Amino acid sequence: MRRPQEIQQDVDTMATMVNLTSVFESLASMRISQIKKKVEQSEKFFGELWNIYSQIRLDQTFRFGRGDQTKAEKEQLKILITADGGFSGDIDQRLIRLALEDYNKDKHDIIIVGHHGAVQLAQQGIDFKKYYKLPKQDEGINVEPITRDARGYNEVMAYYQSYKSLSVQNVKKMNIGRALADKGQASLEQIMNDEVINEETHIFEPNTNEVIERIEYFMTTIIISQIILESKLAQYASRFKAMTAAHERADESLADFKMMFNRSKRAIKDTRLKEIVIGMRKVKSAREAKKKAAML
Amino acid sequence: MSKHKKIDKPELKDGKGKPIMELKVYSAFKSYFDDMAYSVSAVNHTGPFDILPRHHNFMTLIKSGEIKVTAPSGDQSIVVNQGLMHVKADRVVVFLDT
Repeated sequence: MRRPQEIQQDVDTMATMVNLTSVFESLASMRISQIKKKVEQSEKFFGELWNIYSQIRLDQTFRFGRGDQTKAEKEQLKILITADGGFSGDIDQRLIRLALEDYNKDKHDIIIVGHHGAVQLAQQGIDFKKYYKLPKQDEGINVEPITRDARGYNEVMAYYQSYKSLSVQNVKKMNIGRALADKGQASLEQIMNDEVINEETHIFEPNTNEVIERIEYFMTTIIISQIILESKLAQYASRFKAMTAAHERADESLADFKMMFNRSKRAIKDTRLKEIVIGMRKVKSAREAKKKAAML
Repeated sequence: MSKHKKIDKPELKDGKGKPIMELKVYSAFKSYFDDMAYSVSAVNHTGPFDILPRHHNFMTLIKSGEIKVTAPSGDQSIVVNQGLMHVKADRVVVFLDT
């Protein structure tokens, strides 16, 4: 059996592990609530922009801010948001499988966000137009380069990890143009009573079209930022899940080590007790032997 | 007479009787200013401009630079990249990209 001093070291290490996993668990949970708040805040911003947009715009074709005159380069852009590290389970593989279901290299371009996804696409021999690192921070994410890329396409599809609950994360695909219209429909009721925004009621600088282009550009930026945030939310949730499991395992191991430590201490005490008893018996039998010898 | 619509609602004033307006400057993930203000200044494609209470309904793209706010709560300067300003009935909303 191992000595108690050795086991005590393991107990200390495991106690540190329990504390660490608990800290990581709290951090992940804090990040989750921060991101949720940010998404809620951006919903208000989006709603107010959509309110203005739907009062100006007469036709419902969303052009991702490229204006009426410019034609799209290709049919579809696929934006894949994956994890940056390798500890993401099979969720990225599922995401890539979903994105490649209807992939046609002549009609579609791929932009990949996250190193893990880029490696997987390269392994499958799939070319992608651009690769971006997944932003480490949750604030001030600059999605301008992706928004600029999106302008050149008729349709933009986003594939991302979606947060359902702390224990469930799914992969989702979203047609960004259609999602913008759907989101906007939700705020249409409040617009019904509002007056139309046009050149009769407002002064536009430089002109109406450029204002519409800027609003479309802003809205595309918001929705791409939201998708990236939701992916990060799903990743934090997955990390939270992993940390909770690690915390539980560390707690169990700590209890096992403590029991082992106590057993080891008790075993040493028992051995000493046995030695004492044996010693005492020997002394006793020696005394009795002496007494017998004296009597004879 | 201007073809643009005049403001129907009564003029807003602060405690000293100075005209004021509602001003909100924010981006999708951050709010920079949300209070009453005396004026707001920014730069668009024609150059620097000021918005005061009772301004006509107005919508403009904002160029990168500074937005200066004069308000009862104190003056404020906000550095911006791109933005969009909407002025309607003594309510000014500035949408920023970051």
